[in-house]
Amino acid sequence: MTDIRYLAPGTLDEAVNAFAAAAGAARILAGGTDLLVQMRAGVVRPGVIVDIKKIAEMTTIEETPEGGFRIGAAVSGARLAEHPRFGKAWPGVLEAVNLIGSKQVQGRASPGGNLCNASPAGDSVPAMIAAGAVVTVQGPHGRRQMPVEAVPAGPGRTNLTPGEILVSFTLPPRPAGSGDAYLRMIPRTEMDIAVVGCGVSLTLEGGKVTAARVGLGAVAPTPLLVGPAAEALIGSRLEEEALAAAAAACSAACRPIDDKRGTIAYRTKVAGVLLRRTAAIAAERAGRA
Amino acid sequence: MTSPALLLLVNGETRRVLAPGQTRLSTILRDELGLTGTKIGCDAGDCGACTVRIDGAQACACLVPVAQAAGHAVATVEGLAASPMGDALQRAFLHHGAAQCGICTPGMLMAASELLAGEARPDEAAVAAALGGVLCRCTGYRKIVEAVRDAHRFLAGGPAPVAPAAGCAVGERLARADGLAKVGGTDRFGADAAPDGALWLRAVRSPHPRARFAFGDWAPLLARHPGLVRVLTAADVPGRNGFGIYPDIKDQPVFAPGEVRYRGDCLCALVGDRAALEAIRTEELPIAWTPLAPVTLDDALGGEPVQARWPDNVLTTGRVVSGDAEAALRASRHSAAIEIETGFVEHAYIEPEAGWAQRVGDRIEVFACTQAPYMDLEEVAGVLGLPQAAVRIIPSACGGGFGGKLDVSIQPMLAIAAWLLRRPVRAVLPRGESMASSTKRHPARIAARAGCDAAGRLTGFAFEGRYETGAYASWGPTVAGRVPVHAMGPYRVPAVAARARAIFTNNPPAGAFRGFGVPQAAIAQEALWDRLADAAGLDRLEFRALNALRAGDVTATGQRLAHSVGLMACLDALRPRWRALRATAAAANALADAGGGRQRHGVGIGCMWYGIGNTGMSNPSTMRITLGPEGLVFHNGAVDIGQGSTTALLQIAADALGLPTDAFRLVLGDTDLTEDAGKTSASRQTFVSGRAAAEAGRALREAILLRANAGPEARLALRDGALLVDGRPVGLESTLEGIGRFDPPTRPLDADGQGIPYATYGFAAQLAALSVDLDLGTVHLQRIVAAHDVGRAINPTLVEGQIHGGIAQGIGLALMEEYLPGHTENLHDYLIPTIGDVPEIECLLIEAPEPLGPYGAKGIGEPALVATAPAILSAIRDATGATLTRIPALPHRILEALRR
Repeated sequence: MTDIRYLAPGTLDEAVNAFAAAAGAARILAGGTDLLVQMRAGVVRPGVIVDIKKIAEMTTIEETPEGGFRIGAAVSGARLAEHPRFGKAWPGVLEAVNLIGSKQVQGRASPGGNLCNASPAGDSVPAMIAAGAVVTVQGPHGRRQMPVEAVPAGPGRTNLTPGEILVSFTLPPRPAGSGDAYLRMIPRTEMDIAVVGCGVSLTLEGGKVTAARVGLGAVAPTPLLVGPAAEALIGSRLEEEALAAAAAACSAACRPIDDKRGTIAYRTKVAGVLLRRTAAIAAERAGRA
Repeated sequence: MTSPALLLLVNGETRRVLAPGQTRLSTILRDELGLTGTKIGCDAGDCGACTVRIDGAQACACLVPVAQAAGHAVATVEGLAASPMGDALQRAFLHHGAAQCGICTPGMLMAASELLAGEARPDEAAVAAALGGVLCRCTGYRKIVEAVRDAHRFLAGGPAPVAPAAGCAVGERLARADGLAKVGGTDRFGADAAPDGALWLRAVRSPHPRARFAFGDWAPLLARHPGLVRVLTAADVPGRNGFGIYPDIKDQPVFAPGEVRYRGDCLCALVGDRAALEAIRTEELPIAWTPLAPVTLDDALGGEPVQARWPDNVLTTGRVVSGDAEAALRASRHSAAIEIETGFVEHAYIEPEAGWAQRVGDRIEVFACTQAPYMDLEEVAGVLGLPQAAVRIIPSACGGGFGGKLDVSIQPMLAIAAWLLRRPVRAVLPRGESMASSTKRHPARIAARAGCDAAGRLTGFAFEGRYETGAYASWGPTVAGRVPVHAMGPYRVPAVAARARAIFTNNPPAGAFRGFGVPQAAIAQEALWDRLADAAGLDRLEFRALNALRAGDVTATGQRLAHSVGLMACLDALRPRWRALRATAAAANALADAGGGRQRHGVGIGCMWYGIGNTGMSNPSTMRITLGPEGLVFHNGAVDIGQGSTTALLQIAADALGLPTDAFRLVLGDTDLTEDAGKTSASRQTFVSGRAAAEAGRALREAILLRANAGPEARLALRDGALLVDGRPVGLESTLEGIGRFDPPTRPLDADGQGIPYATYGFAAQLAALSVDLDLGTVHLQRIVAAHDVGRAINPTLVEGQIHGGIAQGIGLALMEEYLPGHTENLHDYLIPTIGDVPEIECLLIEAPEPLGPYGAKGIGEPALVATAPAILSAIRDATGATLTRIPALPHRILEALRR
């Protein structure tokens, strides 16, 4: 049990080197809210733990020159909430990140961990997908970028290559008239895993949708970018017809499972219900922005 | 590998620890620094019991690697009293009764202290947001919310603690007599202490619901892990390898002898040092499995026997028959029928089973969380093959029980290990193992029919209940016996045919859980009344009032209820609230209809009765009070599992004796030091042990008066250890003693269930107001009003605390809790209500005195829960027209029911 090497490098390069050198025996530690639980349960038994909380790039929030945001992968939800401007630009992403676990967990859990844990139901992921977030990863062969929806490969699996570490999320600049929102369905009021989660980002001009993205969670092996739902909304004024088409597109995109939290039929229906409700909130926020 | 030295700033003090960086902070605090006020409920960030503050922000200590806490300020409950607001918060918790069992209390306090540091007078929403990550299974959160919101008042002193004068304690809101240790984090729970040098025990449990197994050679494992001292199997049990509730049914083996009967069944135990045990992987164990097809409730009747002793898989059949129910139903003007199905429900006490055992000469001592020390004593003696006098049970503080700690868990195996190894041995069950191995509420499949005449008077009732009792008997016979007595509810029903069977399957043993099967039955019975009320054109509350039992009525078991039948008073108290809530719901629905809203509002009602104590069998309690050179000592063997018996019994004993409560020293639970008070179950301690406490107080008073040669009205006082009777000192050279014993008068039920099953009954009616989201199928509870006839509220704060907590569990039963073996063995897949799930609750305490009870009191523990789920389901039907027949009413089931 104690033959685990615990490393807390101060630079990303050191972290990548150590992570790659361990050749699969290492685990990345950010807030610890998944890793310590998995270790306790005996699900993972790492030989090396790489604590990334001392790496500046992974623990800071920056505003990009273009007017977007770059969020370090290990930034906690609570830190994100304290940022003076992030929540105004991306209220939906902030809501989603701060639905991960309990209040205590939100002080530690990070969007990077949520994404790399690769649960189909991770709350922050559909909102990040809707936001059009792009992630930066660094590995033994250098840096690369990929859209956030390309990271999950299936339950518990990602498309990161061996030795790669998720470094940050970059969110694009927000045009005027934009708003986003995230809603999830859970049977309990809090501290629960989404039965369905839905993120919507909209840009409106004169009441007309000029840009839209829709992300869905817990309805397929990975969180989904639902292009047809966005297409149904773009060009519309969110009339009933457009919302019905977008809701139908969400339901059509679902490939859920029956489990203790909900049935296939239920998840499929609720994906559409949540699309309507989430779009309404995003539109309301866009109208104010 | 050597561990780096880390510097932690804990409660303002710098502490140096040597530990690997990934070690959880909770482990460091408890095991290295001795700060056991930080509790561990799940080790997974699901329960929040280990909440501490790091640089002011709340965090689950079980999720924090110690390396990340190094250099930061860590605050735990032990340091709370040093800050004015922390001290105020602790006193507010005491004043409001916000701590019951106390296991979640440190976490709650730490989470609340973060909130109060930024906002001294938070509103309810802020409290709910701040405390949403800490689970409590006892309180229903309401008094916690009250205490946090009120803490600021205690900064400036706050209200003086209630300190009733001699003879005036009963009826007062006395703070818990054991409360200081709970808010200070110093109470000793099962995992908080063990003798020096104790070895650890890890049970090995079946991953299969049914399988045969064979052990291979243990020698390689023992050689690979030098810290592994011994492996215990069925062959090592010195006495009887079986335990169970009933003297003639000791069917659950300590270590299964070759065949396991449920996922979680124990086949052997590893004993050794902790690190060695943790390093052993399950795959390393030399166990060869032959899985067998499990018996389920679908195929149990007529299927393969789970245990050879019961070839038909029927453990027990309980029946109550009076009149000709079928004929009455045929002749009824209106009739209704329903079939419902409920699932396993987990007790989810926040303290997993924990404790230790040690051999002291030719005796064995067991310290563990329990609801029934004398039953533990009998079981430990049985498995060790020792006389009962050789066993001492010392109950730890019990971090929640609810029936789940009535059965032994770790006690027999700890005792066997400590006995054989002659070394102390301790164990703490991980959450997953606790959930997999412990008993559950019986799943029930119930078919019920009822009829009424044109005026709405009930004519007949038929009930057939199949209760899944799992792999071992546990409390199955109790459930099967209690259900038919209660199945028709607290109503006048001329003709009844009720049968309940406890049926074996290869699932976890279903045992005792707050209500012993009655809550499941009440769901069916109350749903029928709603339909009959509609059919007869009667208001649902008035239908119940028309049929409610009243004093003087005769029940279906032929028992005449002479006294203390307060159901009508409960309904009368609810009536104005019922009308107001219904009007509010109607207005909200009209508004929603006009605006195309998708929320439907509804109000529901449920009533219940509950027999206090064992069903038709003796269940005595003995209490002892002594006064002598060692002072005034109350020897109370009733285990307080959070409900407050230590306090309530003290109030009763104090008034019976005529001295104030603060004059007593308490000796609690230890079987060497207290008499058998019986188990803490069946809502019996206030009624049965309370009466015994009153008798003990009176007996001591008589002894004092005799020694002082004083009259019955004499006033007693204790001053500086001296006894004064009417102001005159009385010598205390020899110890005076008062012993009280009470066994409620009952008469066993005959084959038709005729007899006097209980000496008295609790009655209640509850209202639930809620809304249903028609598109998501979610339920939002708005308000619950609970009217309970408790005979006499010995301590209204404690009574309300029981009602709140029972309602929270009723909410869970109705809306979210469903234990699925192998799928929900943790507190994030098994959902219990959080602080945000329990709405405002109004308690209306009705006191229809019970002449047999102490100062008229009856029990409240189980009655608190029984009516809640029926009221909620009644409200869902009122809101939507949908009848839920599969419980819990999960959102997808509500949508399915809406479509029907």
